Amino acid sequence: MNDSAMRPLRPARNWALILGTLLGVTMMTVWSARGIGFSLTELACNLPGGSRLLVESWPPEFSYFPRLLAPLLETLQIAVVGTVIGGILAVPVAVLAARNLTPGVLVWFLDRNVMNVLRTLPDLFWAMLFAAAVGFGPVAGALALTVFTIAVISKLWSESLEAIDMGVPEAVRAAGGSWLAMLQFGAIPQALPHYVSYALYAFELNVRASMILGLVGAGGIGMVLETQRSTFEYPRVTLIVLSVLVIVLVIEQISEAIRRRLA
Amino acid sequence: MTSRPAIRFQDARVVYPNGAVGLAGIDLSIEPGEFVVVVGSSGAGKSTLLRAVNGLTPLTSGSVEVQGQVVPRKEGSELRRLRAQVGMIFQDFRITRRLSVMTNVLVGRVAHVPGWRAMFNLWPEADREVAFRALERVGMTEKAWVRAGDLSGGQQQRVGIARALAQEPAIILADEPVASLDPVTTHQIMRDLVRINQELGITTLVNLHFLDLARRYGRRIVGLRAGELVYDGSADSVTQADFRHIYGRDPDAGDLLDEDAAP
Ligand SMILES: Nc1ncnc2c1ncn2[C@@H]1O[C@H](COP(=O)(O)OP(=O)(O)OP(=O)(O)O)[C@@H](O)[C@H]1O
Ligand SMILES: [Mg+2]
Repeated sequence: MNDSAMRPLRPARNWALILGTLLGVTMMTVWSARGIGFSLTELACNLPGGSRLLVESWPPEFSYFPRLLAPLLETLQIAVVGTVIGGILAVPVAVLAARNLTPGVLVWFLDRNVMNVLRTLPDLFWAMLFAAAVGFGPVAGALALTVFTIAVISKLWSESLEAIDMGVPEAVRAAGGSWLAMLQFGAIPQALPHYVSYALYAFELNVRASMILGLVGAGGIGMVLETQRSTFEYPRVTLIVLSVLVIVLVIEQISEAIRRRLA
Repeated sequence: MTSRPAIRFQDARVVYPNGAVGLAGIDLSIEPGEFVVVVGSSGAGKSTLLRAVNGLTPLTSGSVEVQGQVVPRKEGSELRRLRAQVGMIFQDFRITRRLSVMTNVLVGRVAHVPGWRAMFNLWPEADREVAFRALERVGMTEKAWVRAGDLSGGQQQRVGIARALAQEPAIILADEPVASLDPVTTHQIMRDLVRINQELGITTLVNLHFLDLARRYGRRIVGLRAGELVYDGSADSVTQADFRHIYGRDPDAGDLLDEDAAP
């Protein structure tokens, strides 16, 4: 017997909503493009100028590479220091911001606000702030990335922590465990793979960011990039961009492998 | 001289924030070394009764005493010390799958060991010994270093029991400990609980769903209905009429683990 008559009909699509959304998005785009003077025709006319820059930048000046080694290494070191210190500090920040784990509403509220401030201010701001405090150089860069790392990991990881199963943490409390024991044995192990994943992600972002941070004198390859660009040494700029690209790709491969093993 | 009860409820009431009544004024005394099975239909208040003993669910009014000490209604060191004497076993095991069996069992020692030792996994030799003996008691010694999540359901529940035993508790609370296990494993786990009760004299309070299990393993049966104590008597003398009274209906095959046996 066929009981397809019992099956509910598929509800009709809301065409008005779909078309309305499309129209709205189109209108907003056109309005914004006009506002900033963005026009495709103008872009097309100016393409030759852009391609001239590309031609001038090619081929990369490979003989310059040996002088990049030290700054590249410094960039990695800045990223490592920033990721490790920031990664450690992000743990309490994330835990206190997780609604299910925080010991009190007041702590939760304050911590949330600290997190929002950290996240809202851009890494360039922190770099300039620390450069003013400890002087231009890699230390300022590492400190800026520390803050950036805390912001990235704590935001993502506090959400993972809020999604854990509270059964085991309750069992630890039932055994007479303190808040810390509850965290250590009940809560954090569940969200550990997420933590590692976010820390690796933060490291990738930090390697990339350290190129930009150099622009404000926070050390690393970015500082070399800025000097070469301002003296129109485009083949060298190309080499720098390529080296960073390769490093980022390699790091991405390694972290992907680590993530797969943890899953 | 009369001995001090292991657990004593006096006009114990629990009203949840949403207005649901968990316990509607319970008076109940359980003597040291007793093996008591709590039965009642879904929502009767069985879990609430157990969770009131270790303060996971605080009373709204009335009192619960454990070994003569009133269970505090607020979290804190006093409640933690009391919980250290009360082991709890859960329907869903509540062990940390990612950690080793040994670490899960050592969680039963958290209340006995300084926080920093637990934090850095520097458990005193004596506490490791207690954990090993607890594993021996449930026949899981050879699994000590296996990842807890790699065990079968019955084995995971044994880890849960070993964790409770590692507390060296005066009381064990088991909230439907066999509800997620197959019939064969169910009988093994129930026999383990009875044996532990007899060998170690630990006062045991077990919530059970199935009437035949209650009758077979309980010494004393307590019946709850809508938060009230409606039956309290020996498992040998409990009748069909008693069960009808507790459940407010005739028990049927669904109330039995072994559906072939007559109720
Ligand atoms: N956290 C809670 N918040 C609100 N109401 C609750 C809560 N826990 C239990 N209740 C209510 O309290 C009453 C007793 O619940 P309890 O969990 O103790 O019953 P139970 O006998 O263990 O049932 P089951 O056999 O389904 O486990 C029920 O009406 C239930 O809906
Ligand atoms: Mg229950």
